[in-house]
Amino acid sequence: MHPATSPAVAAQPARDHRTSRRHRTLRALAAAAVALPLVLGAAACGNDSTSGPSPQSTEPVELTIMWWGGDARAKLTENALQLYTQAHPNVTFKKVWQANQGYFDKLATVITGGDAPDIFQIDDNFLTEYAERGATLDLSSYKDSGKLDLSKFPESLWKYGVVDGKLAGVAFGENTQGLVYNKSLLQKNNLTEPTIGMSWEAFISWAENVSKVTKVPGTMDPSADYKAFWVWLRQQGKDLYKGKEPGFTEADVAAWFSLWKGARERGATPTPDVIHEGNSSDITKQLVVTGKAATSWVWVNQMPELKKNTKDELGVISYPGNPNAQWGRASMYLSVFKNSAKKDVAVDVINFLANNVDAGKALGTDRGLPSNLDVRQAVADTVTDPAMKLSIQVETELAAKFGQSPQVPPKGHSTMRSELVKAAENVQFNRATPEKAAADFLAVVKSALAK
Amino acid sequence: MALTTASTPTVQPQDLVRAPAKRRGRGGGPRREGLAGYVFLSPWLLGLLGITAIPMLISLYLSFTDYEVLTPWNEVKWVGLANYERMFADDQSYWHAVQVTVKFALIAVPLKLAAALGVALLLNRERRGVGLFRGLFYLPSLLGGSVALAIVWVNMFNREGAFNGFLNIFGIEGKPWVNDPSWALGTLMVLAIWQFGAPMVIFLAGLKQIPNELYEAAAVDGAGSVRRFWNITLPMLSPVIFFNLVLETINGFQGFTAAFVLSNGTGGPIDSTLMYSLNLYIKGFTEYEMGYAAAMAWVFLLAIALITAVFFGTGRFWVHYGDDR
Repeated sequence: MHPATSPAVAAQPARDHRTSRRHRTLRALAAAAVALPLVLGAAACGNDSTSGPSPQSTEPVELTIMWWGGDARAKLTENALQLYTQAHPNVTFKKVWQANQGYFDKLATVITGGDAPDIFQIDDNFLTEYAERGATLDLSSYKDSGKLDLSKFPESLWKYGVVDGKLAGVAFGENTQGLVYNKSLLQKNNLTEPTIGMSWEAFISWAENVSKVTKVPGTMDPSADYKAFWVWLRQQGKDLYKGKEPGFTEADVAAWFSLWKGARERGATPTPDVIHEGNSSDITKQLVVTGKAATSWVWVNQMPELKKNTKDELGVISYPGNPNAQWGRASMYLSVFKNSAKKDVAVDVINFLANNVDAGKALGTDRGLPSNLDVRQAVADTVTDPAMKLSIQVETELAAKFGQSPQVPPKGHSTMRSELVKAAENVQFNRATPEKAAADFLAVVKSALAK
Repeated sequence: MALTTASTPTVQPQDLVRAPAKRRGRGGGPRREGLAGYVFLSPWLLGLLGITAIPMLISLYLSFTDYEVLTPWNEVKWVGLANYERMFADDQSYWHAVQVTVKFALIAVPLKLAAALGVALLLNRERRGVGLFRGLFYLPSLLGGSVALAIVWVNMFNREGAFNGFLNIFGIEGKPWVNDPSWALGTLMVLAIWQFGAPMVIFLAGLKQIPNELYEAAAVDGAGSVRRFWNITLPMLSPVIFFNLVLETINGFQGFTAAFVLSNGTGGPIDSTLMYSLNLYIKGFTEYEMGYAAAMAWVFLLAIALITAVFFGTGRFWVHYGDDR
């Protein structure tokens, strides 16, 4: 029998059948491909907070802890965490640390990626940002119940960690601005050291003299440094922030830039390209340790790390001007990630690190003076590292002179810092007048704070 | 005759009836083969979807939102074209970054291609040791956008670096190239140009394909070497030039690693090394404005696609493909 349908026609429905089947499969694949991330996203959304294992349980727990710092800090931190593991053998730590440069980029990325550390170090530059976005756990309930003991902390210190009424982080170390100078260089050339309370003008003259005699520029130019600007403002009764607005005017910024323009012209500072190197946040690049200037503008607790990077002896005092413009700042905080599965253990670890005397001795003053005053006393009595001893001594001296703490910087603070560097460098490289740079700077800062 | 009868299978009536079924069966064969093809493709396909396609679509979605990295997913707000408006109307650093990137590409890419072509011409002869030189010139481009290389570069070009040491031999006082806003971008360009090895190797291959008879004929006609270069080498090489031009332009626009390392992630002395992708990184990862950064990324994609389309469009006029000269 001749087939009713010719082979070609017979093939037709087969072909259409085949194509539509393939089309259907492809369409199904595409639908799945689009649906999958939405499903995963929805699953990731769900944050039901279970507090996880309690500190008293003996099930093995591994906490991830992340901090920034140098080798010295890493060693001290590991020793302190080791002490906790000795007391609670079931708790181990996965330690993640790196330099400050790029730390917050990485922290934000791991938090978004779902791989957030349980405990992370943070500072006042970002605390508001992270707290307002719901990345930090509100520790108020732990403080009230006594699980987190802040009773021995100076009140203004732990209050510096409160954002919008919530305790976003435990102040871990008190520090203040510190002017670090190269003692060996000055002694070699029979020059006097700078003194606490000397005026900015006097300091610049001192630096000019140092440049002339030693051929090493007397001081790094701090016009790009927000903390020097902050102190200078407070000495005039102003402040960096007033609520969500800048606490200074265009004229203030212009005056600040002009002050340092004069210093550069008198030879008190290095050339702009060297200043640019010192503007890095990397502590190993600070001019006082690379030998390109006799003075650097840092935080007092960074002394031991600076000391590790140079053979010269270093001295430290407060920034020029009246030291009551400085304050006991929380150098950094330890915060717990809001959706951590091991909240209770994490808070217990922080409590241990802050209040246990042995842990305090292990951590030393590398992060700043221990927040717990009893621990601070014990550490001061037993510390042997001469750089640490010196930083404790200087800070205790200055503590008597401290003024009132300012508010925690609002969101937009990191933009302010980077814009200040840009504006200052524009003036340093003679690409803008102080007035023009000040005007542009203030405009950008206002819009960043308003967001 | 006997052979053919023996070879042809006898067709029975039932075969003819069955034939359509068999054909349908065989129709199932290619379909099954198609499916097998997809199964073999699946690892690559999953990678394409999961690592490239889906993230691209999500980033397209994010570019219309105010997503700020730490924002919980349920609080991400749709803002429509606000990010794009801000980019074009309100953001000085954006246009500055575009300027820096265009300047970089406009200078570095032609110079790199010129160097590649020049050295390829030199190394086109079969002398002893020429293979060694080809390898040596190719080596830097293998290192690509490496961080270690960028660090070495910064150390070479700063005030106490080797380059200034070299200049001092001739009594020239070197500048702090890397820390000076007028020169920092220049050091990045030199780094890009130094890696001309990859386009050079491709030019070499292209040069070797030019038939020698053309040169011989030209020599017989009395053409000098410049004439030969202009009228033979360049037109015959034009497809290769076109290929290298498109590729290197795209690469030039995307430069990130060296700028990041040189400027410590900030965009260099006063934004002088603020390449487009570095600006994108800063906006997205340092200032946490990921929605805005996503918008920047898509505008970047469209801009590069447009430039490439322009190349392809104008290519009709100067690229000669082979025989239909």
